[in-house]
Amino acid sequence: MNKIITLLLLSVSLQVFSQDKAEIKEFFWGKTDNFKTANTVPDKWKNESAVIIYKNEFYDYHKFGVSVTYTSAIRKRIKLLDAAAVKEFSEFSFKDKFYSNKGYSFREATNTIGVKIVKSDGKEIEIDVEKEAKVTDNEKKIAIANLEVGDVIDYYFYSVEPFKSALELGFEPVETTLGDIYPTMEMKLVFQTENDFFVNFNTYNGAPKVKEIPTKKSGERKYELEARDIEKNEFPKWFNPLAEMPCYKFQVFFARSGKFEERADAFLSKKESIIKETVSKEDIFEYYNDKFRPEGDLSTIRMFLKDKTFANDEEKIREVYYFTRHNYLTQYIEAFVADEAKIFSPYALYVDPIFFRTEREFINHFMAYLKYEKIDYDIIIGTERYNGSIDDLLIQKNVTVLLKINTPNPIYLEFFTPFTNADQFNYNLENTKAYALQVSKGKRVVDSESILLPSTTVKDNVNKEVTNLSFNEDFSGLKIKRESSLYGQFKPAEQKDKFYFFDYVYEDYDKYKSVRLLEKVKNKTKKKQYQQEFDALINKLKDRQKEEFKKNTSNEYGFEIEDHSLVIKNTGRFGSKSPMVYEEEFLIKNNLIKKAGDNYILEIGKMLTSQIEINKKEKERKNNIYMSYPRAFENEIIFDIPAGYTVSGIEKLNKKVSNETGQFISEATLNGNKLIIKTSKQYQNYFEPNSNWGKMVQFLDAAYQFTQEKILLKKA
Amino acid sequence: MKLPIKLIITLLFAAQLFAQKNVEPTVEDVKKAKTLRDAYSKDDVAILESEENISFGLNKDKSKVTVVNSINEVLMNINHRADISKYEFYDSESRIETFNLKYRNDKIANYNVVDEFYKDNDLFYNDARVKHVSFDFPVQGYTYKYEMEKKYEDVKYFTSLFFNDEFPVIKKTINISVPDWLTLELKEFNFQGNKIVKSQKKDLKTKSTVYTFVLENVPANYKEESAPGRSYLYPHILIIAKSFKENGKEITLFNSAADLYKWYKSLVDLMKDDTSVFKDKVTELTSKAKTDEEKIKNIYYWVQDNIRYIAFEDGIAGFKPDESNNVFQKRYGDCKGMANLIKQMLTLAGFDARLTWIGTKHIAYDYTTPSLAVDNHMICTLIHKGKKYFLDGTEKYNSFGHYAERIQNKEVMIEDGDKFIIEKVPAVAPGFNKEIRKMTLSIENEKLTGNVSRSYQGESAAQFLYIFNSFKNDKKNETLENYLSKSDKNINVDNIKTSDLTNRDQKLTIDYDISVANKVTGFDNDIYIDLEFMNEYKNFELKDRKTDYEFDYKTDYESTVTLAIPQGYKVTKMPQDLVVKEADFEIAITFQITGNAIVYKKSFQFKNGVIKASEMDKWNLFIKNLVNNYNQQITLSK
Repeated sequence: MNKIITLLLLSVSLQVFSQDKAEIKEFFWGKTDNFKTANTVPDKWKNESAVIIYKNEFYDYHKFGVSVTYTSAIRKRIKLLDAAAVKEFSEFSFKDKFYSNKGYSFREATNTIGVKIVKSDGKEIEIDVEKEAKVTDNEKKIAIANLEVGDVIDYYFYSVEPFKSALELGFEPVETTLGDIYPTMEMKLVFQTENDFFVNFNTYNGAPKVKEIPTKKSGERKYELEARDIEKNEFPKWFNPLAEMPCYKFQVFFARSGKFEERADAFLSKKESIIKETVSKEDIFEYYNDKFRPEGDLSTIRMFLKDKTFANDEEKIREVYYFTRHNYLTQYIEAFVADEAKIFSPYALYVDPIFFRTEREFINHFMAYLKYEKIDYDIIIGTERYNGSIDDLLIQKNVTVLLKINTPNPIYLEFFTPFTNADQFNYNLENTKAYALQVSKGKRVVDSESILLPSTTVKDNVNKEVTNLSFNEDFSGLKIKRESSLYGQFKPAEQKDKFYFFDYVYEDYDKYKSVRLLEKVKNKTKKKQYQQEFDALINKLKDRQKEEFKKNTSNEYGFEIEDHSLVIKNTGRFGSKSPMVYEEEFLIKNNLIKKAGDNYILEIGKMLTSQIEINKKEKERKNNIYMSYPRAFENEIIFDIPAGYTVSGIEKLNKKVSNETGQFISEATLNGNKLIIKTSKQYQNYFEPNSNWGKMVQFLDAAYQFTQEKILLKKA
Repeated sequence: MKLPIKLIITLLFAAQLFAQKNVEPTVEDVKKAKTLRDAYSKDDVAILESEENISFGLNKDKSKVTVVNSINEVLMNINHRADISKYEFYDSESRIETFNLKYRNDKIANYNVVDEFYKDNDLFYNDARVKHVSFDFPVQGYTYKYEMEKKYEDVKYFTSLFFNDEFPVIKKTINISVPDWLTLELKEFNFQGNKIVKSQKKDLKTKSTVYTFVLENVPANYKEESAPGRSYLYPHILIIAKSFKENGKEITLFNSAADLYKWYKSLVDLMKDDTSVFKDKVTELTSKAKTDEEKIKNIYYWVQDNIRYIAFEDGIAGFKPDESNNVFQKRYGDCKGMANLIKQMLTLAGFDARLTWIGTKHIAYDYTTPSLAVDNHMICTLIHKGKKYFLDGTEKYNSFGHYAERIQNKEVMIEDGDKFIIEKVPAVAPGFNKEIRKMTLSIENEKLTGNVSRSYQGESAAQFLYIFNSFKNDKKNETLENYLSKSDKNINVDNIKTSDLTNRDQKLTIDYDISVANKVTGFDNDIYIDLEFMNEYKNFELKDRKTDYEFDYKTDYESTVTLAIPQGYKVTKMPQDLVVKEADFEIAITFQITGNAIVYKKSFQFKNGVIKASEMDKWNLFIKNLVNNYNQQITLSK
């Protein structure tokens, strides 16, 4: 009897899932298609490249035991108004068969596409996709015939992805604005699920709410989001679309039982029948109260601490953080390099290696250490600012976890990269609202509270440059020596950009007296061979790095520089206040010096390097301004005035614009044969409301104008 | 390659060590690599030896001459380390039988060989496939041996043999074994100036003659933009299989252009054009036209504007045009399809139009060489009132009677029933493409303000229209403004007026107001003016260039800036004139005072559309002087 039921159910499900192409076509273009004859667009969009008449996104999640069928589809009906749009839609390529990357899979997934065009006289032409498609490897391509300006193109892409998942499984979250690259007249997003699928869904910033549509079967659910009259997306500089534009986010989670629900990396709703729209403080508490636990082998940390004394717990924790960064990360980088460069497979050389892959491993390990030291701490649950506020948190992947150590001056620790510091954390979390989970006895989360994470200021995040310049002998160019010192949040990105592994891995080996990869190789012949290959690789990378350094500096100034050399004087990897310092020397030829008879005009303002140019269109900005972090650029430009010349025009180098959004101040003084210019450009805040844009433009324009200023060198 | 940190912990336990290569370079190898690197400082790898053997066979069933092309090479890393790929293409007319990489000790190096379709952005679909392998040389002096064997089913698709490679070749040997039954011409190109040692030997055993060509120290292929096609640059041999004997009978292959035409014609004869499909369209385009020229233009421009270029290179479709009805209905096609549609539409409208084969400027050959390598393009020739007009459907915004640089002066093979006509596409003088910019400026509050009038003709206009019309509608104005102001915050343009930017027959004009900040500076009682804010050709130094620089077209540009001298001031310093007249370029930068105005003129003329490699030193010297000139300012004093 049981067998019969199973078979019966199986055949039903097969029937449901094996929708053939005709059904898919009917689904989009059939009798219920309200847009069949919609071919006109509003006058206000007549000068656009194209207008989306209708966009329909469809998601369906169904299961049978551990077998899941995930269906996703999109249909767009678009009026093409210019040649660029015709070109854009004149070719389609797709894979009609593939294997799901979710769970495990024995059945191929399928993609089905349909394309039709509607000519300006209303005549519909459907493309015979099977006949027209050209196959290259595993991809199909179609060139759309008879497509012209004024036509409507109507296409769908329907993907059925079967897979099996014995465990809980989260589908990729979707977070996007309502708008598209073209204006949209109407859009509809449809969701179909059944029991065991948990849906998190919400809309933000004025987007319409999702509606539940009644279904005939219990256990089946359907939701719709509809919106009309949506302008095209245009994202200016310094902008977080999800924080400001009408948008929606969703994620679906498959969890077959309470056990899987508990394990799911998601803030699940209590019941599948309820859409989870918000994540409260209580939800956070509930989700995280047993996610982290102090665990890990502390023997290496204890060895590190042996015979060491520290001024206080703060210093100790920082030192332990840097040690673990090496012990669980940078000490293995050589091995990854050896493998990646196919020098040899090094992993057998390590006995019980511990390498942190995830944030959770880091947090657990450090919790174990703090518990061992009996130091009080909280677990911080935050979200990076471009996701929007934590009040609008919906998707677990958007969470970043920190540890807040409750020393007299609290320390915030984040999962490390080679460039993280123990006294600053991800700037996208600074000054954002977060939750602090209070941990009792170093072990159990007992409560949660809402907090504001600390900020940094223009005093912390400083990019300091001292530039010495002088004419070369024949006045045809400039010799430059520049020292750059980066502090605070400026560092990690620059370190990542400039450093290759050899720039910091050996620093750590020396500091922690640990064993390098090749020292682990016992066979002398092999060791010699690997060493040679490693050296060869490093030499090659150094050549490349040299080129990159030159190119980057050229880009900063906006013209080619020559004879460039760069020396890293301090990596700055141990604390936000220890600067990353590098010194460069180079020549500038054919630029910045203009001749006027016996006199020279020097475009000295350009030594500030290229500044942001706010053009006419940008001045009309309507959006708020979202930036990385408060920051200061402090420059000192020292020019050796050539003997026999006097300088005119210094007064133009003095600028002062200062307001609550930031400043640009420059001061030029003469000191003997040296012209010394000090400039300070500061961005005060993470965020400025649009009403402050004018104030920002003032100091940005002042900085730009500084770059345009020149001095006259007059022959005495 | 910044080596990413691989974060796959499972790998940590993968204990398997890489197979011991035991193939490290010898001391001599390392020494050799260092010496070679001194000579080839920009190359990572050198091919120490490359031997290429070509032999021919006969497929009696199909009565076709087959070819086997085998290559054996020794590659050496001359830099610290090298990561490279070797690849070989094949298609429906050829196949790769061997594709191996070996270590120095002759053991196979088991790198992953990928065999896939060759994807090219310019071709929607083509049947070419590529076998490729990526591998690394861990240290200097490391070597690999590379073996490849490729077979061609039909000798007509085996067209050429080159000495140069992607990497420098220390010794290149080509052995061509020509059996007695095959009449083959080995046509040499660009041998002059290269020390190619030739020899030939009769092989009585195989009844063939082996021709051997050896060239040493062959530099790597040039990686320079806007360079001429490779048939101009490198020494090579064209293989022209003229005929073969089978059972005492002589069978002709490509003995002359007539044979090439015969084959092309046989493909054209396979086409079944159904012109009824576009009869109405032709009537619509021609019925209201008052003159023949108007009819022709209406058809030609309709094809340019409405048929998208989408290229399929699929077996014989690479040579046989698609039927005109297909191209018309699909609204897309390749050059052959477009040429055929133009021909059929014009024919329907009562004109004499013919399919026409042509090798573009990219190809060095003409029709005295009967080979598939001679042409790469198809256009349509209209014979009207005794005159020939060449219509290229792939050109956009091409005015009737204007010819793109890439086909000018090139030989065409025009269909003429069983015969054919060879002619040349006429060339134009640079003045045909004239671009003029006139600026009238005065000084107001330390700003240069005034108006600008620009005009474009010939290819400068066609190129402008093509680029402009490829932008999205809603971005067109913004893009035009950015183009006119060079996206320079100091330059503000306003009140833009243009001629009809869809009309390809009239002179294209753009007029606008301009205001330029930060170019006028007052120091003490003097005013310093930098009139050079367009900086034409300023960064055009062609440093270390080995090949000709080819412009898109013969450029003829003229700029005149007239600046009113403010009242109470006189000119105390002016930059010097710079005038050069060379074989490839004529340039004049002049300053003049006319009444109360300074007239600053610049004219750049590239009369052959090229700066020859032999002129490069002169060009770079000129650029140095030009920059000097641009770096001079005008001084006005009270």
